[in-house]
Amino acid sequence: MTVKLGGLELRNPVLTASGTFASGREFADFVELERLGAVVTKGVSLDPWDGNASPRVAETASGMLNSIGLQNPGVDAFCENDLAWLADVDVPVIVNVSGHSVAGYVGVIERLERETGVAGYEVNISCPNVDAGGMAFGTECSAAAEVTRACRVATTRLLVVKLTPNVTDIVQIARAVEAEGADALSLINTVLGMAVDVETFRPKLSRVVGGISGPAIKPIALRMVWQVSNAVSVPVIGMGGIMSADDAVEFMLVGATAVAVGTANFIDPTVTMRIVDGLAEFCHARGIERVSDLTGAMKA
Amino acid sequence: MRRCMGEESVWRPVNPALERISVVANERLAEGVGLVTLHAPRAAAGVLPGQFVHVRISRGTDFILRRPFSVHRVSGERIEILYQVLGVGTRALAEKVAGEEMDLVGPLGSGWRVCEGTARALLVAGGLGVAPLGMLAEELAGRGVAITVAIGAPREERVLARNLFERVARRVEIATDDGSCGLRGPVTGVCERLLSDGSFDIVYTCGPELMQRKVATRAAAVDIPCQVSLERLMACGIGACLSCVVRTVDGMKRACVDGPVFDAQQVLWDPTETPPEH
Ligand SMILES: Cc1cc2nc3c(=O)[nH]c(=O)nc-3n(C[C@H](O)[C@H](O)[C@H](O)COP(=O)(O)OP(=O)(O)OC[C@H]3O[C@@H](n4cnc5c(N)ncnc54)[C@H](O)[C@@H]3O)c2cc1C
Ligand SMILES: Cc1cc2nc3c(=O)[nH]c(=O)nc-3n(C[C@H](O)[C@H](O)[C@H](O)COP(=O)(O)O)c2cc1C
Ligand code: FES
Repeated sequence: MTVKLGGLELRNPVLTASGTFASGREFADFVELERLGAVVTKGVSLDPWDGNASPRVAETASGMLNSIGLQNPGVDAFCENDLAWLADVDVPVIVNVSGHSVAGYVGVIERLERETGVAGYEVNISCPNVDAGGMAFGTECSAAAEVTRACRVATTRLLVVKLTPNVTDIVQIARAVEAEGADALSLINTVLGMAVDVETFRPKLSRVVGGISGPAIKPIALRMVWQVSNAVSVPVIGMGGIMSADDAVEFMLVGATAVAVGTANFIDPTVTMRIVDGLAEFCHARGIERVSDLTGAMKA
Repeated sequence: MRRCMGEESVWRPVNPALERISVVANERLAEGVGLVTLHAPRAAAGVLPGQFVHVRISRGTDFILRRPFSVHRVSGERIEILYQVLGVGTRALAEKVAGEEMDLVGPLGSGWRVCEGTARALLVAGGLGVAPLGMLAEELAGRGVAITVAIGAPREERVLARNLFERVARRVEIATDDGSCGLRGPVTGVCERLLSDGSFDIVYTCGPELMQRKVATRAAAVDIPCQVSLERLMACGIGACLSCVVRTVDGMKRACVDGPVFDAQQVLWDPTETPPEH
């Protein structure tokens, strides 16, 4: 069941999607964290962020909108609480990094370089819910390249860059990020959207627009993972609407090396375990020896 | 403000779990209000007053998120949920018939806290706010606490759980918007009068957020501790997604794990964050 992301070997290809799993502690009653490929933490910034006003979520057909806005207590508190707790759990930890500026991203990584227990970073240049930074870095090749370059200088650990679907051509961004030394790419972050309450005539999110996640975006995500993995040589972590082992298989068939499960954790907090078991069964039932054989195995 | 001295809660929460449940009965109580009884042995054994369960009403893909509901009462292996039909989820819940299966995640959240030595409690409910107060009233009565209940509702048929409260409380006061039952006017008026002529050790309230805020203000004015139960839109219900935040004097808290019950003086009330009244 093992897969490789850069220099990191994972027990299996099932990861948690950032922001949907906190740092794992909240799921300890439901999930054996040691059986995950890796825990990808919520977004962490240099200083504490308050996030956006409520309402921060709205349900939409087969999915949900969120505008949480990367609320987090800052990297120091993250080390003290989350990392310290994770230290006793035998699972690779990938820290999702957010920033309002290049220096902000680098600052988080530099602080975390002093800690053990961090296997790598997922640099979020794709959050649609913050004003400065966030997605702005992920929608232009030059900015995406600049952030990646600066982060690459700051660490030799696994460096994943997380891409937004809210662009004209995701392949261009992917190539720019790969060229600056990213070890892997993850996609997709949420798709920009909105919803309006027809009783009150008000937007359902206080921020008006937010990011759609869940099964509704899976076809978009699959298409983008397929495009990107055909265009780059680094591994791709696929995500967007994965609810079952079959969904995970679909992502691997179009080229993903690993997958991340997000919104589904809210619906069934044990879902990651079902997917880990389901992937093994899927391969076993079909005589597929290594789960990594699924990667890119879609037939023409 | 007087605070709880000594031992806070006598109840110890159990860990939440995913539990398969089935509908035992689903009864319409009034226009748009129902009471569903669920066979949920694990939740029934562990749930504390004021906690909630996160129910997956539909397995389809039309709507996918769970819906949070307070546990109104427990009897044996069953829990009762009092619900108001508002949208797609509660409409689907109203259509469930005996024997249908669902699942829940629970019990969740931190519920009402009871101080050792509480002798007299005032419970103030607005509308569906009676839901989380039912279990509390029964528990308090079981410990010999003298309970006074004030219930507010739009009209007589919407005065919910009256029998339960009349069974366990020393006194039940009702206020309706149209005066069809009890006093005419808001329940906050009744609450103000009760607070001025009775001496209570604690006020527990649930209902529309504006009402809770008024009750909290009245309680603070006569220096009586008050606990409120706040509703927020919830995606995960277990503390991971940060969709349910409440501003407090100690920073942002999550209604699903740090609440839904909060000490009123902790809450930084913000009218723009109030969910729609119903
Ligand atoms: C801890 C907690 C305990 C609750 N206990 C009960 C209970 O015992 N009985 C009961 O009837 N309801 C309770 N609620 C509210 C209940 O969860 C919502 O009414 C329900 O989720 C609405 O689902 P829907 O699909 O019918 O409505 P939707 O179509 O999702 O929404 C319809 C309307 O209801 C509003 N709404 C949706 N969810 C909530 C929510 N969580 N809080 C406030 N407004 C909401 C929406 O903004 C919208 O205006 C509780 C909520 C919380 C957070
Ligand atoms: C509530 C919520 C919070 C999120 N927070 C983050 C975050 O902090 N950083 C990040 O890179 N992505 C974040 N995401 C995006 C997810 O990691 C994921 O890319 C997206 O939701 C698509 O996957 P899904 O459909 O399985 O949820 C968040 C998504 C949701 C729903
Ligand atoms: S509902 Fe997800 S943190 Fe409270």
